Amino acid sequence: MPVRELESSTLSQVSGANSGQSTFQACTLLSVGQAFSGTQNVSSPQKDEAWRVNVRIQGCDLEHGYLCGTMEALNVPMADTPVVTFWEGEIVDSKNYTFFTGKWEATPEDDIRHWTKFPSFSPFMAQVEVDGGKSLDLSNYPFIFMRWKEQYFVNVGTDCGLTIAGFYYVCFSCSDGSISGFYYDPNSSPFQKLELKSTNDGRSGFSFSSYELQ
Amino acid sequence: MPTTSSSSVNRLCSDLILDRLASTDCQIKLKAIREVKNQIIGNRTKKLSYIKLGAVPAVAAVLAEGDANSDCGSNLIVQSAAALGSFACGVEAGVRAVLDTGAFPHLFRLLSTSDEKVVDAAARSLRMIYQSKLAPKYEFFQEENMEFLLSLLRSENENLTGLGASIVIHSCGTSSEQNTLCHAGALEKLISLLDGSISQRDASLESLAAILKDNPEAVSKFVDLQSGRALSSVIELTKDRYSRTRLLACTCLICIKNSSSCYLHDIGIKTKLVYILLELLDDHGQVGDEASFALSSLIAEKEDLQKLAFEANAIDKFYDYLQNSPLNPKRLEGILLVLANLCSKLECCRSRFLSLQVLSLVVDALTHDNANVRTAACICLRSVSHSIKNLSAGRFMNERIVIPLVQLLSDLSTSVQVAALGAISNIVVDFTPRKSTFIQCGGLKELIQLTKSMDSTLRLNAVWALRNMVFLADNMCKQGIFTELTAPSIASLICDPEPSVQEQALALVRNFVDGCVDSIEFAFAEDGLIIDAVGRQLRKASKTEIGIQGMYVFCNIASGNEFHKEAVMRRLFPQTENGTHSLIMKFLQSNDNHLRTAAAWVIVNLSFAPGARDRLRNFGIVSQIKSMVNDSCMDVKLRARLALGQFTTVRYPAFSISFQNGVTYCFPFTLTSQSSVRAFQFCSALLTSAVAYVSSMPRDSIVVDIHASLVSLFCGS
Repeated sequence: MPVRELESSTLSQVSGANSGQSTFQACTLLSVGQAFSGTQNVSSPQKDEAWRVNVRIQGCDLEHGYLCGTMEALNVPMADTPVVTFWEGEIVDSKNYTFFTGKWEATPEDDIRHWTKFPSFSPFMAQVEVDGGKSLDLSNYPFIFMRWKEQYFVNVGTDCGLTIAGFYYVCFSCSDGSISGFYYDPNSSPFQKLELKSTNDGRSGFSFSSYELQ
Repeated sequence: MPTTSSSSVNRLCSDLILDRLASTDCQIKLKAIREVKNQIIGNRTKKLSYIKLGAVPAVAAVLAEGDANSDCGSNLIVQSAAALGSFACGVEAGVRAVLDTGAFPHLFRLLSTSDEKVVDAAARSLRMIYQSKLAPKYEFFQEENMEFLLSLLRSENENLTGLGASIVIHSCGTSSEQNTLCHAGALEKLISLLDGSISQRDASLESLAAILKDNPEAVSKFVDLQSGRALSSVIELTKDRYSRTRLLACTCLICIKNSSSCYLHDIGIKTKLVYILLELLDDHGQVGDEASFALSSLIAEKEDLQKLAFEANAIDKFYDYLQNSPLNPKRLEGILLVLANLCSKLECCRSRFLSLQVLSLVVDALTHDNANVRTAACICLRSVSHSIKNLSAGRFMNERIVIPLVQLLSDLSTSVQVAALGAISNIVVDFTPRKSTFIQCGGLKELIQLTKSMDSTLRLNAVWALRNMVFLADNMCKQGIFTELTAPSIASLICDPEPSVQEQALALVRNFVDGCVDSIEFAFAEDGLIIDAVGRQLRKASKTEIGIQGMYVFCNIASGNEFHKEAVMRRLFPQTENGTHSLIMKFLQSNDNHLRTAAAWVIVNLSFAPGARDRLRNFGIVSQIKSMVNDSCMDVKLRARLALGQFTTVRYPAFSISFQNGVTYCFPFTLTSQSSVRAFQFCSALLTSAVAYVSSMPRDSIVVDIHASLVSLFCGS
């Protein structure tokens, strides 16, 4: 989800950011076509604010630790329509990616500061401090840790006054498909919290679609 | 008309030649054969007109009748063999005509004569014939044949060794043929030819490639030969001054590498191969044409090699070639295929491809006259569109691309149609509401037509494209597709004789019934034609994938209302069947993780309905689910736990307490474990008797009191 450009960077740490759950490995709730909805807290010291957010998984390639999809921000004050962005995700699988981001202006300290906000991360803390967790076996862990980086605006121009410079630290729960995340951009409010739940289009149950590229 | 008169003159001359070929005078005959031979060498038109005239049998007759022991006879044999070879060179009709005369075994017999000129001529002629696929297959398994072949390869005569190599190149196809040749010692003979003349070297390299291709056993034998010196010689030949030799050496190494990944895996040799082949593309002749095919076989399916080629600026280089059109069809095809291979896995390659505007040149090739070029262009489009990032940006769903692709769906060549379907399958996975572009271009009608094709590959790919098209489509779009496709057609595709078509058809239905709840109704059109077909097909599912897709169809339907869930229950548990042997039980117990997961999801969705829960329990499904809560597959384990939670959640009607005074108290919490339920039952029994004697008290206060007591009992507060 895009955020306002040049937000004041006063620390406004979100307290109790511990409802995050996430998952990993082939998980049907994180497969293509699955949709999620919730909010992103974009509060600043001046104003409490949260934007409604919808996410849809469009592509998934576990072999390469790759995931992608769109994120739609619904009540963005400066936009007339919902703002849709396309994002690509890195799955922390110890094979393709570790807990250390190594780019996007995130230092290992930034990484650890964000990952520790997810309670399900705590068993890995000690090892991650050593090597970013590259020796960990995360394949059977019921949470999947990811980084989501928005790549482009799908339906608005780049001159919309919004930025997608940062990225999300994301934790997905394989049990119920809930997602929590924290947006990281050194130039935006820290720890903007993303909270999403699996949606079911008004069904009493779960539905799964699929495609297969050739 | 001038053409008429000139062709009639030609005709006259030709007729005379036929007469002269049949002449009894040796010199006249000889002169006639020379004349024919000289006219047809390198001249396809002349060859075809002489073939039509019937010259080939006449020449073959001279060969058959020639007496090798006389000077004139020997000359006649040499000239007629040369002429027959020339007829067969590069013209399939010529090969056919020569083979029809029965000259082929006769040429073989001539190899055993003592006249060297005759032997040379026969060998050269046979080599020409062996260049064609129409040449009869050489039987390596007959001992005397193998002996004869080895004698050819051992010969001092360059024409005979060349013929030996040609036979290997032509007839060595299966791994048992390759192994027979290896065991007979053909590799050693071929390696010794690497030190021979240019033509022997090239023939040897090509034969080696034929024996080593896709055969790890032969490769391992070759690599060990002469303590690895054989391999080193081939590597050395990649630096030869002749481009053809360099290409053949590379091809040989690619066969080794592709057969056994343990050889030639160091980055140095891989990089070298990429660079040599890219450089060979600059050759204007056949070598340049073939280099792109060799590069394709080097990088196909191999990400590391694709990366190396990318880093060697291969895409830029191919872009330059494509801009310098017109290229000959073979070269164009080769370049399109190598671009397809380059873009098959790596996003960086696709980005470069798109940023250079190669796409537009590839789209132009979709309308090329040559069917192989059109096929290659489609494959290239398929490969570059295998990118969600670009599909999501809507880079391919536009008329410039879609219109020519849709036209190719009615191409006369099946391979073009299949390749076009491949590209379309990707392009219609469109996340924006642009699917209408494809429909407006007439694509939907063509696809539906192809689902009825007699050719199962066409049916498969057409259904595949429809399945991708329906993925996340809005209900209006789905309605449009469904109306055109019709329920009976979908039902018959589900029951197609080809299992892969069944699988795609079920995946298509799965997508139809996904999305908004109303979509589920598609499965119930025409009295449930589709859902019935799904149930029937699942019962005889011949492969796991069919089970998986079918289970997801039921899963998606079962996520609807009570009626939908009941419909799924009826198909899963027909009255005639015993629950413990039911279809779903079989799938829940499958060895395949994905199938167990899909089946578990069906149970999760069904368990939302109280009515279904009881029956599932009776059918033994709950016990089965219980046994899955520690499944080795995490996805299965989590779904089993979710389902079990549904079964053990006793919702408020079960928690209501009816008091003697008629008050019904509904406990406002849900409990999820069996022990809590038992505790609750015990406590409520106590409370029921406790409140019995205060039944005269006002109802409201009883409820409040009981509530407070229960909360303190359960929550300890």
